[in-house]
Amino acid sequence: MTKLIVEVQDLWKSFYIRHNRNDSLKERFISLFDGRRRERREVFWALKGVNLEVAQGEMVGIIGPNGSGKSTLLRVIAGILRPTKGSVTVRGSVAPLIEIGVGFHPELTGQENIYLNASLYGLTRKEIDRIYDEVVEFSGLEDFIDVPVKNYSTGMYMRLGFAIAIQLDMDILLVDEVLAVGDEAFQRKCLAKMQEFKERGKTILFVSHALELVSELCDRAYLLVNGQVILEGVAREVVACYHRGQIPIRHE
Amino acid sequence: MGSWMRGLTRIIRYRELVRNLVAKDLKVKYRGSVLGLLWSLLNPLAMIVVYSLAFQYILRIPLENYPLFLITGIIPWNFFSGAVIASSEAIIGNANLLKKVKFPLEILPFATILFNFVQLLFALLVFFPAVFWFKTGVTPLILLYLPVLALQFLFTLGVAFFLSSITPRYRDVRHLTEVALMVLFWLTPIIYSISMVPGKLQPLIKANPLTAFITVYQDIIYWGRLPSTEMLISMVLWTGLSLGVGYSLFRRRQRVFVEEL
Repeated sequence: MTKLIVEVQDLWKSFYIRHNRNDSLKERFISLFDGRRRERREVFWALKGVNLEVAQGEMVGIIGPNGSGKSTLLRVIAGILRPTKGSVTVRGSVAPLIEIGVGFHPELTGQENIYLNASLYGLTRKEIDRIYDEVVEFSGLEDFIDVPVKNYSTGMYMRLGFAIAIQLDMDILLVDEVLAVGDEAFQRKCLAKMQEFKERGKTILFVSHALELVSELCDRAYLLVNGQVILEGVAREVVACYHRGQIPIRHE
Repeated sequence: MGSWMRGLTRIIRYRELVRNLVAKDLKVKYRGSVLGLLWSLLNPLAMIVVYSLAFQYILRIPLENYPLFLITGIIPWNFFSGAVIASSEAIIGNANLLKKVKFPLEILPFATILFNFVQLLFALLVFFPAVFWFKTGVTPLILLYLPVLALQFLFTLGVAFFLSSITPRYRDVRHLTEVALMVLFWLTPIIYSISMVPGKLQPLIKANPLTAFITVYQDIIYWGRLPSTEMLISMVLWTGLSLGVGYSLFRRRQRVFVEEL
């Protein structure tokens, strides 16, 4: 049996929706005397008992309508958010592509940003030196690498971000709807790279609204609605089911 | 104790991130200005000139080589106040990073303090020759300077942990900090010496942690005498307290940072 790389068991995640948010000590102080200005907290469950397993070398898609908890799920797997209940086990290093180019600072050049961004993942200087050329080459930004990224276009920004994440060579890649920005040629390049990544036995979790891509690329898929896994199975079939609107809604 | 060691190893493992964050702050602050880092000297220089004028020539404070006295206190004070103000932004200013990537969050306040420390070292480089210019002589006590500076770094780090972990919840802490710093400045013997403080006020001034650090610096550099045991102990205790309270609060609060930002 292949090794399970990601194991999510009965995962629940709640957030507080804070009405009348008391953001300052001053407001907090006033609310002591004026009940109407007291903060009200409402619990919102973004994930309700999610189970998910991903084996090594698998590419798994996560689909579902907006607000169904897809991004929250990725963030918990990435270790950015803590589970409220349940457990998440990840065996390996994770490169979260939740939003591309997050560590970029507009005033720094492309080169400086590569170093800053890669060090955010704990790489040492030598390790970054080693991947630097490949990152630049993959991004295709050789001519702009010493320009501050505030002068980059959205597409260039995305290229650099994707190039860094892919060259970090982590065990697990979490991709959240990022391919939408690049032009077609770069998109193809990214998909080819992800394919190659997979062939080398790496694991990919792919959140997307591009359903054709999911059914084409992924082995399996999960359909998430209102924080619950509604359907799990062969990617093509899950996508087809979602397409036809045959969503077996579970009622609590 | 285990969590302290883990915190320390995380900082060591992510040293490249620390380095890049400090470099980023330096570049962002000083790139595109001809004078670069020299700008960071403008503030202490202006303070020294203006205070010399007001207190030496107008109020006639009875301290010899008054500018040297000022330099001794103002440079470490500026490090403290600059670092403290910046640290309140250490977490909320990097919200976009910690919402997207998992990394040890201790790095953020640490890098902020280090950035301010680099500016302090630069200021020392320029102002230190003043000690020779005033011909007050340098005693072997000067060797104590670096350990005391290191202690002040740790003390400030503790304050930074504390402040950076409450600002995500209460955004107005920053304004309170500015007011508190202003009060603290006048309650610290920087422009006056501790011996000039009337007996009744002494306990108030001595209850201020910065008093310990500043008077020790003055003893070492300006007076050329051995610092009092009272101040040395006070300095160590404050550092322990600040780091202990600051870091444990930070570790407890960091779970919820992402959700508060």
